[in-house]
Amino acid sequence: MVNQSIMDRGEFTQEDLKKLAAQCIGHVRVPDKFRIITDTSNFFSVDFNDILVLDGNPYLIRNYEREGRFGIEDQPKYWVKRAIELTTGKLKVIKMVFPEKFTARIGDLTFDCVRSPKKEARILELVRGHRNFMQGMSTKDSAGNIIRIIDYIRGSTMADYVLTLGNDHYEYFFEFFPPLLNDYIDLVKAIQFLHNSGEKHGDIRRDHIIRSKHDSSYCWIDFDFNYWHQENMFTYDMFGLGNILIYLVGRGDVTSQHLRKSSTSVFDQLITGDLNIVFNNRVANLQKVYPYIPDVLNNILLHFSFSADTFYDDTDQFLSDLEEAKTYINTFTK
Amino acid sequence: MLPSKNTARVKPETDRHVLVALDESENAKRALLYAADFLGGSPGFRVTLLSIIADPSEDYFTSSSERDAWIKDKISRSKELLHGYREILVQSGFRVDKVDVKVEVKNCPSIADCILEIQRELGCCTIVVGRRGISKKEEFIFGSTSNKLLHSGKNCAVWVIE
Repeated sequence: MVNQSIMDRGEFTQEDLKKLAAQCIGHVRVPDKFRIITDTSNFFSVDFNDILVLDGNPYLIRNYEREGRFGIEDQPKYWVKRAIELTTGKLKVIKMVFPEKFTARIGDLTFDCVRSPKKEARILELVRGHRNFMQGMSTKDSAGNIIRIIDYIRGSTMADYVLTLGNDHYEYFFEFFPPLLNDYIDLVKAIQFLHNSGEKHGDIRRDHIIRSKHDSSYCWIDFDFNYWHQENMFTYDMFGLGNILIYLVGRGDVTSQHLRKSSTSVFDQLITGDLNIVFNNRVANLQKVYPYIPDVLNNILLHFSFSADTFYDDTDQFLSDLEEAKTYINTFTK
Repeated sequence: MLPSKNTARVKPETDRHVLVALDESENAKRALLYAADFLGGSPGFRVTLLSIIADPSEDYFTSSSERDAWIKDKISRSKELLHGYREILVQSGFRVDKVDVKVEVKNCPSIADCILEIQRELGCCTIVVGRRGISKKEEFIFGSTSNKLLHSGKNCAVWVIE
């Protein structure tokens, strides 16, 4: 891909960059002159068609990323840019340093969070080659900022994908859910690997799992959040894992508001104990809505409901219960 | 009659060792006051006042010096707190040499597990902690040290003070 004579010189002229960019985006779209950036301290100033040089590698900056957060959809992430690695033509996601300390709120609970490039860089190193995590590397720009260069994954979120499966819940549950449960168990094992290595994901959400269009594999993304934990370092991750499982079993969120309109007989049977312990409008006891969900699976969901007396402290018992459910489900769906 | 030299085995008096795990909270103070009221003046007990500082991740700090300063300050405040509590126990009837103070900076994925580790190290027969009185939701998200101690403690009594 790259012109070897250009690389051999070790630095890039405007003409070099134009040649490399033309190979990636075509001559017509190459600007007259590139702005070359090595210091990303002011990430707002890193703009479309700029060249960011990191470790001697030029990256052609494209658009910034967007993400929903805490119920607010599509917030721009100006510190996260898509870029083309000009030496390979590969699409990358460049994450610059956005030092952020904030108080996260879940329902009426609050806790102190931090966005940490150090944490994500550390985990990228830890999970290198692990198929259930986004892949990439970290480096420093000329000002010493920790920059993460992530392989771009073409695909959709697991959350979006699930909604496309099956004509109704019954078909989904018996045809599509069993293999999905296997994939989910692999994702939980990946989190177990992090926990056993003394790390937490920190922001486990259903839109932080990407399904690759290329090979249908699933991977966790975005692990730059950390928070001051209290008794247990891992319970917040467990909360995220539980929410995702409830979403997968229900083929999306099953809310009390929706049931009130669509199925009053089911709605009338619901009690507070059936609801998600944190998100009080989501049903966790899904067997009440879909009676064919087996006890062995539903009992896991109930650990995340208001009626729960015991919670999962870590992934070990959770995985053990999931494996039991998997064995049972694979038996009756065969 | 004195026992024969050959057969006599005088078992040394061994104090029952009580571990009181404390932080800066009011519920921890209640636990300490309960222990003082319940055990103060009774012979055969020794107490270790323990404060665990969970070794904070580097991620929360902009530099290692900032982190070091945070830990140093936390240790200093914990020591001050525990020495104050030690005075309360002494006033309640404990001999000065029967009350120890221990501040530990530890890597703690679970605070309760760290307390149990120290309980085993010191051979304590009883752990005393306060109960925060958190909601079920809070316990779910953050965990509960007293509940974890109740479930995981082995070969020791756990007193959870309301």
